[in-house]
Amino acid sequence: MAVLPICANFEGDFVLQLVSVDTDDTMDQVAEKCAHHSVGRRVAPQPQKVMRVRLHGSNENYPRGMKVSDASWRATETVDVTFADQ
Amino acid sequence: MYKIPREEWYDLTRAVNWTPKYVTEEELFPEEMSGARGISMSTWETYDEPYKVTYPEYVSVQREKDSGAYSVKAALERDAYVDRADPGWISTMIAHYGAISVNEYGASTGEARMARFAKAPGNRNMAIFGALDENRHGQIQLYFPHANIKRSRQWDWAHKAMHTNDWAAIAARSFFDDIMFTRDAVAVSIMLTFGFETGFTNMQFLGLAADASNAGDHTFASLISSVQTDEARHAQQGGPSLKILIANGKKDEAQALVDVSIWRAWKLFSVLTGPIMDYYTPLEHRQQSFKEFMVEWIIIQFERQLADLGLDAPWFWEDLTKGLDVTHHGMHLGVYFWRPTVWWNPAAGASPEDREWLEEKYPGWNKTWGKCWDVMTDNLNNGREDLTLPETLPYICNMSQLPIVGTPGDGWDIKDYQLELDGRLYHFASEADRWCFEQDPERYKQHQNLIDRFLSGEIQPADLSGALLYMSLGPEEMGKDAHDYAWAEGFKDKTKVA
Repeated sequence: MAVLPICANFEGDFVLQLVSVDTDDTMDQVAEKCAHHSVGRRVAPQPQKVMRVRLHGSNENYPRGMKVSDASWRATETVDVTFADQ
Repeated sequence: MYKIPREEWYDLTRAVNWTPKYVTEEELFPEEMSGARGISMSTWETYDEPYKVTYPEYVSVQREKDSGAYSVKAALERDAYVDRADPGWISTMIAHYGAISVNEYGASTGEARMARFAKAPGNRNMAIFGALDENRHGQIQLYFPHANIKRSRQWDWAHKAMHTNDWAAIAARSFFDDIMFTRDAVAVSIMLTFGFETGFTNMQFLGLAADASNAGDHTFASLISSVQTDEARHAQQGGPSLKILIANGKKDEAQALVDVSIWRAWKLFSVLTGPIMDYYTPLEHRQQSFKEFMVEWIIIQFERQLADLGLDAPWFWEDLTKGLDVTHHGMHLGVYFWRPTVWWNPAAGASPEDREWLEEKYPGWNKTWGKCWDVMTDNLNNGREDLTLPETLPYICNMSQLPIVGTPGDGWDIKDYQLELDGRLYHFASEADRWCFEQDPERYKQHQNLIDRFLSGEIQPADLSGALLYMSLGPEEMGKDAHDYAWAEGFKDKTKVA
């Protein structure tokens, strides 16, 4: 378990932000931590949707339960967080 | 007493040069400082500045300018314009003085470098006047705001800002260090006077002078007009340097110097002038949109000047042109959301009437930028100011030192341009920012941006309060909404109740 700073790019927002996650976090937890700084602040909530995480620019989402430690992220890695149906 | 006519002596005196006997030419003009780039002294002697002035002429004209600007200030002081001006306009002045005044003093150092080390005697001659210009600009732009310190401590940031680690000061220092403090004389003539002053001081000084007049601020208008007329003269030092470089097989190098300085200057003005012109200046006083002004005064003028010199438009010209619809809206939203981190009070400029104007000038604004403002407006009207304030830092570009922004809402398209070098991951806001870095990685790679400093533990406590402390912002100095959220009132009927 270790803190990892990442660069969050949240769907609909205008700016990349510094977010601190833990290597034990799941991708759902990463999405929540990123959402804290965007949703309800500059991005309207979409309660009917879930949030998915992917490597910046990738088309493929990480599995929701996957741990950060299994994603091989570099410090300050940039991730996209998007709204999805599932 | 008989006076020799000017035309009989001027060309001789402006081009005085000498052959050193006690030191070598290399010792007199070290390459590191002169930047002759292998071009001979005799070739540099052909440097021909288009604007020629003598010292008596210079002093006479400068005296008139100073007496004009200081007289207007003295006459209008009793009028107490500052006490009744729109708060958005006050913010414009406070932001301007903090970003510009001390850097004007700095620019006199860049001019002095040319005055001492340029191999072109004509450049040395002109740069002496340029150094005097910049010294005057520093003094006048510190003196005028000083009178207002009794009104708010934020005015003191005219002098204080550049001596702090405020993020905007770091960004400005990074740019000016790059183009005028750490370059040889020839590069300074190109990057400072051609790349920055020709285009972008037109932006800050001509555009702002027009807005100041419209806003009824004749003191500020006369001050910046007096500065602009100096800039128009000494900005002409870069053109002759470029001609010599191009004629001697150095076009690629000349083009790169121009391109780096234009891109970096554009980014700085997107955060300083863009918000001022499109958001802070009261709606009824706006002359042109930032984009309209940029197209007329920067894009078209630069294209013509570059073509006249035999240079190409920078490779990123299309990106820059597209950015006129995007970048400054993001910079404004960022400055507004992170308003405690600036020394002025940002005006939201997002009332229903403002938004109508923004939609007209930037079609699609409501579906993109407006979406973020919708959420913030609802929060304010629901008593949730806390949600309109930051709890973390925006990610900062390793070149511009400014937040990495892009279009939000329906047009969401932010891209992070990365580079991994020596095990470090760098983040850039655009292809052009990364390209600037790649021109000389040794020059830039050690620089720590605000995020790097935060992550290295330099900022303590490691939260937003620590960041504010690091930026030397006291409670009376931190930015607040310029109009105390009055702009959001017009949306109260439409506000979604939380």
